[in-house]
Amino acid sequence: MPDVIQIKAFGMIAEAIGSDSLEIENPGTSLALKKQLEAQFPGLKSMKFSLAVDKKMIQEDTDISQGKEIALLPPFSGG
Amino acid sequence: MEKERKPKNIFVQGPISPEKIAQSIANHAIKTDIGGHSIFLGQIRADEKPEGKVIAIDYTAYEEMALEKAFEIREAIFAKYPLTCMHIYHSLGEIKVGEICLFVFTSSKHRKAAMEACDELVERIKAELPVWGREILDTEGHVWKVNT
Repeated sequence: MPDVIQIKAFGMIAEAIGSDSLEIENPGTSLALKKQLEAQFPGLKSMKFSLAVDKKMIQEDTDISQGKEIALLPPFSGG
Repeated sequence: MEKERKPKNIFVQGPISPEKIAQSIANHAIKTDIGGHSIFLGQIRADEKPEGKVIAIDYTAYEEMALEKAFEIREAIFAKYPLTCMHIYHSLGEIKVGEICLFVFTSSKHRKAAMEACDELVERIKAELPVWGREILDTEGHVWKVNT
């Protein structure tokens, strides 16, 4: 069974990829995931966004294991 | 004994009504150790953008993460200031110009703690909660809100 991960997208990132969720084969790490997404959706290259793994923002390259909840978060603008 | 606090839902669909704010103030009349309240209300501004004038903001959030984060912030503020109570409400969905989208309410025995806690809460909410505002323009386009 291929290792597939579910990704949630929000705000302008969801708009850029045309969906608020997507499923891709797990590239293994957060940095590899970011590169893969930018290759798949070139519009993301010029946009700023962070990754959250299991609802926690990650600052450095992190392993992504199966079942993790991944989210693409553009800069926050609440309030 | 310290009361155990659990994550609360801070999100409200649509604008926060002035009646809700008034009711919330009234609910504190029975808490007679309170000597001061501090309230912050965020209101949708008709901002002039190069692309058009803002007529509404459509808010979305990564709700589960935002509630976890709001709880963490809430606990930190309670630990830092001697507060009696604290309430946070943030709108989701489309909020029109002039309507209220954020209501932060802190109460304490003395004014300073309430005022400082309220200020810090608002700053942290804007910086740390995964919430996004899509500014709807009178030109039928939209731009994504940027927090300053």
